Amino acid sequence: MAVMQETTRIVLAGKEPRSTRRPRSTGGWLIVAGKVILSAVFIIASLFPLAWMVIAGFKSKTEVVETPFQFFPEVWLWQNYAQILADPTFLQTLVWTFFGAVLFTVGSLAVNSLAAYAFARLDFRFKGTIWAIVITTMFIPGMTILLTSFIVVTRLSMLDTLAVLVIPGLASAAMVFFIRQFYLNIPKSLEEAAMLDGCGRWGIFVRIFLPLSKPPFVVMGITAFLAYWNSYVWPILTITSPERFVLQQYLATFRSERSTELGLLMAGSVLAAAPVIILFLIFQRQIIGNIKMAGLK
Amino acid sequence: MATQAVQERRAIRQRKNRYRYRDNKTAYWFLLPLVVLLGIFVIWPAIYAGFLSFQDWSFYKDPEFVGLRNYQSVLKDPLFLATIGRGFLFVLMTVPVMLVLAFLFGSLVVSVSRRAASFLKVSIYVPTIISAVIASIIFVLIYNYSGGLLNAFLGVFGIDPIAWIGDPKWALLAIAVPAIWLGMGLTSLIMVAAMVDIPAEYYEAAAMEGANWWQKTAYITIPQMKNVVLYLLITGFVAAIQQFELPLVMTQGGPLDSTTLPNLFIFNHFRNDVNVGYSIAAALLLFVVLGTISALVFKFVNSERLVD
Repeated sequence: MAVMQETTRIVLAGKEPRSTRRPRSTGGWLIVAGKVILSAVFIIASLFPLAWMVIAGFKSKTEVVETPFQFFPEVWLWQNYAQILADPTFLQTLVWTFFGAVLFTVGSLAVNSLAAYAFARLDFRFKGTIWAIVITTMFIPGMTILLTSFIVVTRLSMLDTLAVLVIPGLASAAMVFFIRQFYLNIPKSLEEAAMLDGCGRWGIFVRIFLPLSKPPFVVMGITAFLAYWNSYVWPILTITSPERFVLQQYLATFRSERSTELGLLMAGSVLAAAPVIILFLIFQRQIIGNIKMAGLK
Repeated sequence: MATQAVQERRAIRQRKNRYRYRDNKTAYWFLLPLVVLLGIFVIWPAIYAGFLSFQDWSFYKDPEFVGLRNYQSVLKDPLFLATIGRGFLFVLMTVPVMLVLAFLFGSLVVSVSRRAASFLKVSIYVPTIISAVIASIIFVLIYNYSGGLLNAFLGVFGIDPIAWIGDPKWALLAIAVPAIWLGMGLTSLIMVAAMVDIPAEYYEAAAMEGANWWQKTAYITIPQMKNVVLYLLITGFVAAIQQFELPLVMTQGGPLDSTTLPNLFIFNHFRNDVNVGYSIAAALLLFVVLGTISALVFKFVNSERLVD
């Protein structure tokens, strides 16, 4: 469930990282060679398993785990990719998961940015108490509430619907925290001018804060999209009809039920991983730029 | 007289409050969706979990108060206690390796050109966005006994094939590797960010004194990174001991329970056992244990810092 994964990922946003880089040591060729080798090891270790998945996706049924072992396929089979894409269930699952992920992303940005604005700018009774309660929810481990959340959605008769995948994870204290941090840094003078023009709180939020929210929305939106796209445990508890399966559930089921069609499974995995990898590569600068540890020293 | 003054003061305060809380109504509208959703799907389940842990309850009958009996049976269950030990073993297999590798990675990134640094950072982060299910599928394929990449590779050096996920001796390690693979990205990048934050002047001064890389690392980088390492240690510990998606998909906890980590144990119990109270008590206990350990580690390091 999306509620639970993000607690360890909270990034403490705040001051900009120092741009001064360490003076590069002008070592001899031995040091340069060492750096090149070390870089290669890190890059291979992190990318090789993915490359292996792509290569295996081109292999025939028997070739994937063939003895004796062969690194590259005998013939590169595009058929696996064509075949899995021609499978109506896979395609439907892909589209269904994408649709749910978009709903989830938009919904969570809406719910959490509204609250973030209230905590950043409005004065109201019990503000401190409500804030404390919201923050506390970040530290509740997923497993503790997994079982009772299941009971709750059962009672609300949400089981086996899109709603059970989207709604329970929408509210996220980590996201409220992150967006609020950003809103606190928006200069007050902007909204004071708008207020003089007779703009209400809602108007200020929609016309001033939302247009400025792109940076936190990109980072948090991708986090939410990934959480939905990669979720597995919550769907296998709550979704039982195969036609409503999400992608990860489909892949895991495929693996256990059609265990001989490994080439096809690998092709499916590639197609399931591709959208999020592309998404990450497009926004890598923003995502990586947001990981900083200000204030922890 | 006195009462009049009190009344006046109260009136002033009320007026002030009215001004101070003039956003009350608007604010509650802004907060409504968040509060309702958190209330129904997080806060209520948490309270309910606390309540059910003292009950004998299943989907088929009404709850019955049994006091601490669920907790007792969890704590007396050798199977559950074994999963805790296994959880710690798993932490030892993953967290130190990740921290050392991430430190190495950070030292590498701050010493290369800007372009190489950003390429390295993107590469190391890519696995982070891959799902546990897909990671499991890839690694199970690599671990395949007769036709897997790993055994073929080891075969080149004359090592006999090993049943990585079929042998209780190796299975937990076989799950630790994809866990490290998935977790390295965030750990490394936090490490990099912290290293970039260390003022460059320190290194310049050290260089002037003729310090080498080892001395700089031992006397500047490591002491400066203490809190970040602590943060990564605690978050890494909490994440690793809660890991259960990888064993769920890769081994279903087997062979011979050798990969049944605490959360997987609770999860399986919940799916197979009608006594929900037991599972919930176990989950709450784990929560308490985790919280205590985090607090203790935190306290320990804090007191150390006071000393030096």
